[in-house]
Amino acid sequence: MLNLTVIELAFIALTLLLCIVVALRADFTRARGGKILTFVVLFLLPLLALWTGYSEQMERAKSTRFCLSCHVMADYGKSLYIDDKSYIPAVHFQNNRIPRGEACYTCHTDYTMFGTVHSKWRGLRHVYVQYLGTIPKPEDIKLYEVFNNRECLHCHAGARSFLETSAHHKTPDMLSLVKANKLSCMSSNCHDTVHDVATMKDGKFWKEPE
Amino acid sequence: MSGGVIEKRIRWAGFLISSGLLVQLATLMWTHPLSFMAFLLVGCPLMLSGVLLFLYSLVSDSGSGLRSKQPGS
Repeated sequence: MLNLTVIELAFIALTLLLCIVVALRADFTRARGGKILTFVVLFLLPLLALWTGYSEQMERAKSTRFCLSCHVMADYGKSLYIDDKSYIPAVHFQNNRIPRGEACYTCHTDYTMFGTVHSKWRGLRHVYVQYLGTIPKPEDIKLYEVFNNRECLHCHAGARSFLETSAHHKTPDMLSLVKANKLSCMSSNCHDTVHDVATMKDGKFWKEPE
Repeated sequence: MSGGVIEKRIRWAGFLISSGLLVQLATLMWTHPLSFMAFLLVGCPLMLSGVLLFLYSLVSDSGSGLRSKQPGS
């Protein structure tokens, strides 16, 4: 990952250097070879560099560090370390059921820039509120929509433990309702302890071994 | 269309793209929503405007070439 970033940075730096050379020596575009070089340096390489930078930024936006870089999200990051098995995100995070480096994105795949145009506008608004608006208390932050079962099912669907557990067969159509997102995993009193930042303050926290 | 005007446009295109690449490099040093915003709202427009200016310089150049080949011109 680091090596890839270094290669990307080197490529962008090389493109930058070539662009500066072309900008300072635009007279060599009079020759045929100069024209071809200018096309490569001012068209092909910048577009490739732009795509490289965009992909890298999007990958970084999935990282837990990116999500927790706003101070208001710190408690949500802390909730991943609470030593209480009823906290669904904490259990997933501490037992490596989700990649720790992309913990937020794994369960919130349609958030801000990864969602619809509406979600992207919300993301812009979050940045505005963070720096120019009134930041809400962490416990007042709520999801815009009911948590979609899709986020659970992209790992659990088809898993034996998910299919065979008796709790998922309380009614004959329970599993089909869950799969159709008509019965929420979170808000149907089954897995309803999520981040709960307001109540976790007095709890014990797991310390990740170094 | 004189060669000087085209070279001037190419020079400007080069500077615009270079500025965009500089912004891109700076934003890649930092993993933060603000750096993402700077990349999208500053770096990308600078680079795209530079590329478009370069393409315009090519089109304006070929237009002048066609005009110069017309008989009696």
